[in-house]
Amino acid sequence: MRKDLDEFKKQKFVIGSIIAMPIVLGVVLPLVMFVPMVTMVPLERSWDIDGLLQIGGLPDDAVVPFTNQTVGNSSFDATIFRHTALKNATFSYCIIESCIIENTTIVDSTVTNSSLSNSYLMNVTVIRSEGTGLDGRVILAISSDLAFTRTKPSEIDQVLPLMFNMILMIFIIIPATLPTIIATYSIVGEKNNRSLEPLLATPTTDGELLAGKIFSAFLPSMGATLLAFSLGVILLDIVLIPKVGYPLLPNLTWTLSMVLLAPTACLMSVLACVLVSSKVSDVRAAQQLGGFVVMPVVLLMLGVLAGYIFLSPFWIFLIAGLYGVLDLGLFFFAKAIFNRESILTKWS
Amino acid sequence: MIVCEGLTKMFGSVAAIQNVSLEIPDGCIFGLLGPNGAGKTTTMRMLSCLIRPTSGKAHIDSYDISKKEDAQIIRGMIGLLPEVPGLYETLGAYKNLDYYGQLYGVSKQKREESIQTTLTNLELWDRRNEPVGGFSKGMKQKIAIARALIHDPKYIFLDEPTASLDPVAAKIVREYILDLKLKGNTILINTHNLTEAERICDTVALVKNRTVKIGNPKELAKGLFTRRISITMQNIPSNLLKEIEPLGLVSQAQVKGNQLIFNVKNPEEDNPQVLSWLLNQGLKVQFVSEEEHSLEDVYLKLIEEVVR
Repeated sequence: MRKDLDEFKKQKFVIGSIIAMPIVLGVVLPLVMFVPMVTMVPLERSWDIDGLLQIGGLPDDAVVPFTNQTVGNSSFDATIFRHTALKNATFSYCIIESCIIENTTIVDSTVTNSSLSNSYLMNVTVIRSEGTGLDGRVILAISSDLAFTRTKPSEIDQVLPLMFNMILMIFIIIPATLPTIIATYSIVGEKNNRSLEPLLATPTTDGELLAGKIFSAFLPSMGATLLAFSLGVILLDIVLIPKVGYPLLPNLTWTLSMVLLAPTACLMSVLACVLVSSKVSDVRAAQQLGGFVVMPVVLLMLGVLAGYIFLSPFWIFLIAGLYGVLDLGLFFFAKAIFNRESILTKWS
Repeated sequence: MIVCEGLTKMFGSVAAIQNVSLEIPDGCIFGLLGPNGAGKTTTMRMLSCLIRPTSGKAHIDSYDISKKEDAQIIRGMIGLLPEVPGLYETLGAYKNLDYYGQLYGVSKQKREESIQTTLTNLELWDRRNEPVGGFSKGMKQKIAIARALIHDPKYIFLDEPTASLDPVAAKIVREYILDLKLKGNTILINTHNLTEAERICDTVALVKNRTVKIGNPKELAKGLFTRRISITMQNIPSNLLKEIEPLGLVSQAQVKGNQLIFNVKNPEEDNPQVLSWLLNQGLKVQFVSEEEHSLEDVYLKLIEEVVR
């Protein structure tokens, strides 16, 4: 492995392409896609509550009445609140009118003419109230049996998850495609350079030899992918924070993808290419066949793009597990069919 | 010691080498001589555990080349120089040797010492970091030999070690091989350079898809050729051939300048009689010599017989 890495260091164009490709695809492309989107798509959230619309929304000049007291840091049951600031408290079976409500949990109650923010609502009827400052993430966490459920996600909220999935696929495709040239060259290249015979004559076992070849293709590819990922995430956050108000990335899905899915996809590609490299007699044939080994990852990408698969943590665990099993199977298969004699005698 | 008994390798229905039986004692330089395609490289690869024999046995020390568990040990005991150096051309000589030192499990300190000594001896220490792709064939070959020796192997297998080298580089490599013999290494050389084999090998085996003959290179000619005598005289009369042949002592006599050249069955007994006869004729004999047969003559004759 160290020899291969030393050889890479001498090949400036190879290093350049290994680093440039992920950066172009993983940094530049997402930026090109996101910047116009976040500047053009409206960010404001709108109410999506049938009942509220029927009752009638607040007029444009409406303001929440003044408050003359603050209640908080406690739990209240079957209480009526008017003209009050309710903060950091829990309310059950309450009637709340003309209040400013912040950081609360309200259950089985009615809220009228109030301003809500950062609150958890369950079985609450909301009339003529506003949601200024309501946190979309909090709203998304509310259970479905609400009278007042949530605001309608803004267009950007609807588009972002799909965009993130597509961008995420780039970081899965990159490590799967990047090592194919190196890996397909690994054994057949040694044969073409006539350096394979002395290598096979060493006491190195088949497994050690294959592992060396695998990791010498795997490590630079994953390294370059992680570099591009880090740069991409930082730049995306720099672009998006002013629009959405908080760093979107890396979230759990992206982190799991980079820790589980990208390495297993990369390894699968490398293993398949090394396998091909040990069985063909020509570098061009190896590289041509190497193009097919990314098919499982392409299938995943098609599933994501077509909307059949949404990369959630569950899917990531499932697919990474599947890839991991395939990786193990491929390694043992490659080891089983690695034959020094046929490599030396049938490739002339 | 390397012992082969009936070693055979078939590639499909084609026999690369058949029924080779050899015994290579420790500390010996053993040459496998034969034309291209004679099975020399196949034999060397079988002994290096790179390919498995179709039949027959071979042991290196007590290890069986056919057993998978012994193959790894055998490969660690052997230093192999293949037909082509097969160096990593973008890397320097130091890294090429260091990489192989690691593969053979040589400790870092020993590797560093060994590489420095070897490259200094080869006058390459100052150029140790230059990519070897820019080196001459001779230098590459020397580095490849150094690579085969990086783990201080007991057995050294050299496949055409001086092929494609200029005479000066070939001489350096031959001297290097003789030095290795002095250190007690057992060396197996594949070659079709007969002069080289004659100069450095203790024993040679002529192979042409089977073992044709084994022996000391200087003794192989014995029994293969009729012994031919050359007598140089001051003057040779024109009727000498007509007079000497009827005596029945010589055959196929011919005159070249002032030399009389002829075959005799038993020079030790026949030469004195021939000389007496010549002196009685009043001829002045200056030199008497026996024509020597080189390994090349032996090789060509034996290979010709096999081909026939």
